[in-house]
Amino acid sequence: MMKLLESRLRRTLLFSLFLLPLSVSAPAGEKAPQGVQLSIGTILASNESDDFDAKLSKMKNQLEVIKYSSYRLVKEESQKVPWNGNALFEIPGGRTLAVMPQEYRNSRVSLKVRLQEGEKPLLDTTVRIRNRGNFLLGGPAHEEGVLILSISATVQ
Amino acid sequence: MKTNCETVKNSLGAWLDGELGHADAEEIRRHVEGCPSCSGERRRLERVQVVLSGVLETEASRVAFEPFWDGVRRRISEERPRQARLWEWARPAFYPQRIAWAVPVAIVFLLAIFSLVQYAPGWRWGVNRGNVAAVDSIDGHGFNVAVLRESKTKTTVIWLFESQEEDDEASGEPTAKDPAF
Repeated sequence: MMKLLESRLRRTLLFSLFLLPLSVSAPAGEKAPQGVQLSIGTILASNESDDFDAKLSKMKNQLEVIKYSSYRLVKEESQKVPWNGNALFEIPGGRTLAVMPQEYRNSRVSLKVRLQEGEKPLLDTTVRIRNRGNFLLGGPAHEEGVLILSISATVQ
Repeated sequence: MKTNCETVKNSLGAWLDGELGHADAEEIRRHVEGCPSCSGERRRLERVQVVLSGVLETEASRVAFEPFWDGVRRRISEERPRQARLWEWARPAFYPQRIAWAVPVAIVFLLAIFSLVQYAPGWRWGVNRGNVAAVDSIDGHGFNVAVLRESKTKTTVIWLFESQEEDDEASGEPTAKDPAF
């Protein structure tokens, strides 16, 4: 009986040894991310009313950080960009948002972001966000309120 | 099961005691029937068993079993500590043959994790739970910039606003350009 058990044990261990190289080679075969899906949501925040756009319901907790009474999604745009490629987004008020994904490391996407009004640069920043995460960029005045840009990135 | 004489002879005792599975037992039976050497070994073992059981029966009749059974009954009836019962319940999981199976199971599990990472590059254990962004550099080109990191909602906000001097020229009322948090 012990011989049979030993035989089974041996077979199991051999099977494990067969699997071991597979487990080692699997991470080596990991594909490098090809590009990034950038999504920009342009939100108009103001104190003119208490309306909250239902399309922003998923962001309600995030927007509560900013103390305005009304939030409306003005524009939503997505672009797929290769690494170190530049994606341009038209922002209301003659502004442009340029986003360049630079690298993906430790589950974070590094984004170089430039906001400009016409030819005049307003902001240059480099931000590392979680894959599928977002950050908010706000402040530019628009109509009776301010614009808030939700910038998110998903590695493809 | 590969049946050569050595393997069969090693398993003969277990076979005669009825300890083998049906398929293994059948294989050994067929081999023994066709192999004079193993058949001889079987007869030898059977003789040993007959002799041994004869001796045991003779000796057993002289043994006083009553105190032994009393002890057994006492052991059965006595309440064992919870830890002992727990160990008794868990012990089979630590038999070598079961632990051996845990190795390929762990490897398959790791392979699954790695595959998940391959097809969903951003996937890691729990890393997507936080949304806090790291701001490496920032230049407001003459505008004031505030960075807010709110731990509850894991939200990072970069806020751009004009300098205070310009605001002072306007009325004292908060304007849309003021940082609003």
